[in-house]
Amino acid sequence: MSAEAPRVDDHHLAHTDEAAMFERLSRSNLVTTWKWYLGVAVSGAVLLWGLIVFLYMAMVGMGVTGYNRPVFWGLYEASLVFWIGLSHSGTLISAILRLTHATWRAPVLRGAEAMTAFTLMVGGLIPIIHLGRNWRVYYALPYPSSRELWPNMRSPLMWDAMAITTYLIGSLTFLYVGMIPDLALLRDKSAGWRRKFYSALSLGFRGTHAQWRRYHVTSTLFAILIIPVAVSVHSIVSWDFAMAKVPGWHSTIFAPYFVVGAIFSGIAGVVIVMAILRKAFRLESVLTPLHFDNLGKLLCTMTLLWGYFYFTEFLTVWYNRNPEEWEVFSSYAGPYLPLFLTMIVCNFIIPFPMLCLKRVRRSVSLILVPACSIVTGMYAERLLIVIPSLARRNDPFIWANYFPTWVEFSVMAGAAAMFVLLYMLFAKFFPIMAISDIKERLFHTTDRTIGGTTVESIAQVEGEGEAHA
Amino acid sequence: MSTVIVGLFEGVETAARGARALQGLSLPAGSVTTISAVPLPDGAVVTDPAPVRFPKIVIAGWFVGAAAGLALTLATYMLYPLVTGGKTIVSVPPTLIITYEVAMLGALLATLFAGGREMGLLRFPPKAIHDPRIHDGKIALCARVEGDEQARLAMDAMKDAGGTDVRPEEGEL
Repeated sequence: MSAEAPRVDDHHLAHTDEAAMFERLSRSNLVTTWKWYLGVAVSGAVLLWGLIVFLYMAMVGMGVTGYNRPVFWGLYEASLVFWIGLSHSGTLISAILRLTHATWRAPVLRGAEAMTAFTLMVGGLIPIIHLGRNWRVYYALPYPSSRELWPNMRSPLMWDAMAITTYLIGSLTFLYVGMIPDLALLRDKSAGWRRKFYSALSLGFRGTHAQWRRYHVTSTLFAILIIPVAVSVHSIVSWDFAMAKVPGWHSTIFAPYFVVGAIFSGIAGVVIVMAILRKAFRLESVLTPLHFDNLGKLLCTMTLLWGYFYFTEFLTVWYNRNPEEWEVFSSYAGPYLPLFLTMIVCNFIIPFPMLCLKRVRRSVSLILVPACSIVTGMYAERLLIVIPSLARRNDPFIWANYFPTWVEFSVMAGAAAMFVLLYMLFAKFFPIMAISDIKERLFHTTDRTIGGTTVESIAQVEGEGEAHA
Repeated sequence: MSTVIVGLFEGVETAARGARALQGLSLPAGSVTTISAVPLPDGAVVTDPAPVRFPKIVIAGWFVGAAAGLALTLATYMLYPLVTGGKTIVSVPPTLIITYEVAMLGALLATLFAGGREMGLLRFPPKAIHDPRIHDGKIALCARVEGDEQARLAMDAMKDAGGTDVRPEEGEL
C-alpha cells in the first residue's frame, strides 16, 4: 500500500508571482510619470482659478451669478445634486458587491470607494459656495453662542448637511478600513518616510488569523450600515426639493427617483474612472473586459429603471394637466428644449441600445460612449430639475429664465478640478487597487475539469464575515 | 513578552502540516496562529478558539447617536423657537430624519471603534511578531512556547513539516 502523496496548493495565487503582481498593481505608487505631474498641474491650476473666482464672488456678492428673481437656485444646486449622485457609485455598489460575495468585485472596489469620498467632498462644498456671505457658514453649526442663534432643523437643507456629513464620514471610514491590509503591505514593501507613513496608517495590522477574521466581520458590518445611509442621503437631497410647494418638485416619487438616478450616474462614473485607471496605470490584466461587461449590465438595468421612473413622473403630469405643473413641463419644449433633448438622448436613446450589445459592454473604448453620455445626460437632468420649476413658479407675473454666468462656470470647473486633483493624489499615495482582495480572489480560485474542458472554480467560504450573536 | 517560534511555509498545505505537527505538543488553545497576506478559512491551518461575536457596542452606538440626534433637534427647537411656514415648533418629520442620521453616524463610528479594538489595532507593542515575506506567498506559522524544551520540540516539528527559517523570537503575537 503506497503512502498518500502530500497535497500541494492548487489555487491560482500559488501560481502567481506575488512580487511581480505587487509591482503591477502598485504602479501608481511606485512610478511617477510626467503625465501625473501634468495632470496635477492642470487640475491644480483650474482649481486655483475656481478659488480666485469664488473669492471674487464672495467679495462682490451673489449678484455676479446669473440668479434672478425667482431663480435663486441654478448651476450650483444642480451641481450639488450631480456630485452627490455620483457619490452613490462607490460605497453603495462596493457594499452591495461585498455583501453578495460578487467574485468579480475586487479590482473595482477601491477606485469606486475613493470616487465616493471625493465626490462627496466636492458636493459637500457646494452648499457653502452657494451660501452667500460664506464667512458666516459657522452660523449653521449647532453650538451655544452669544448670538443665541440655532440652526433651523426644520429646513431640509439642515437634513442635507447632517446626511452628507454622516455619509462622508461613513464612506471615508469604509474606504479606510478596506485599505488597512493594503497599507500594511505597502508598509512592509517600502522604506524611509513612506514606511513611517504607511506604518502609522496601517495601525499595526499584521495579518494574523484572528485579525483577518475580525477584519471581515468589521467590513461586513460597515457594508450593512452604509447601504441605508447611502439611500437616505439621496432621498434627503431629493427632499430639498420635494418638501417645497413648488410645481415640478412637490412629488412623492422624488426620493426613489433621485436614488435611482444617483446610482445610474454613479455606475457610469465608475466605468469612466475604471477605464482611465486601466489605461493610466496599465491595469489591463486586472481590469478585464469581464468587469466592464458586468458594470455595463448594471448600467443597462439602471437605464431602464431611470426611464421607467422618468416616464411615470412625466405621465401623471402629462395626463393630469395640473396647470401649475404643466407650465413647468411645457417649458421643456421652450427655452429648456436643448436640455430636455440632451437628457432623453444621452440617458436613454444612446445608452440603452448600445448597452444591450455584448460587443459594446466588453470593449473598454466602446462602453465609454454610453458612460460619458449618461454622465452628460444626468447633468442635464439635474439642471432640468432645478431651473424650470423656479423659472415657471406659480405666478406667471414673475416668470424669468436663467443662464449661468462665467463666475458659476468657473467655480464649478474648479470643483471638478478639485475632484480630479484629489483622485490623482490619492492614486499616488494610496493603493488604488484592492491588492489584498485581488489576492484573496486568486486564493479562492482553482481550475476544475468538467468533461473535456477546464473552468475556473471559485470557492465561497461559508460564514465568512459573519459574527455570532 | 514571550518566546514565539516562527516558521515560514510555502503554502497552505505545508503550513497545515506544520500546524498538525504542533498539535502533538499540547500547546494551549490560541497559542498557535498564522500570519498571512490573505485571509485563510478558519480551520485551514489553525482554528481561532475565540468566536467572533457581533460587537454589541454598535447597537449602543446607534442608540447614543439616536439620543444625540433627538436631543439636538428638540434642543434647537426650544432654544430658538422660530415659526417657519406656519408649522409647529416641534415638528416630527425633521426630528425623525435627524435622529436617524445621527444614529447611523453613531453606529458607524462604534463599528470603527469596535473593529479596531477587536483586531488589536493601535496597539504598538515593543516587538510584534511579523515577517514581511508573507507578501511573497509565504505563510508564517507562529507558536507561543514556554521553556527551552517546548521551543526545541516546536522548532523540530515545524522543520519536519517543511518549514524554513524556523527561529525563536521574543515578542507579542
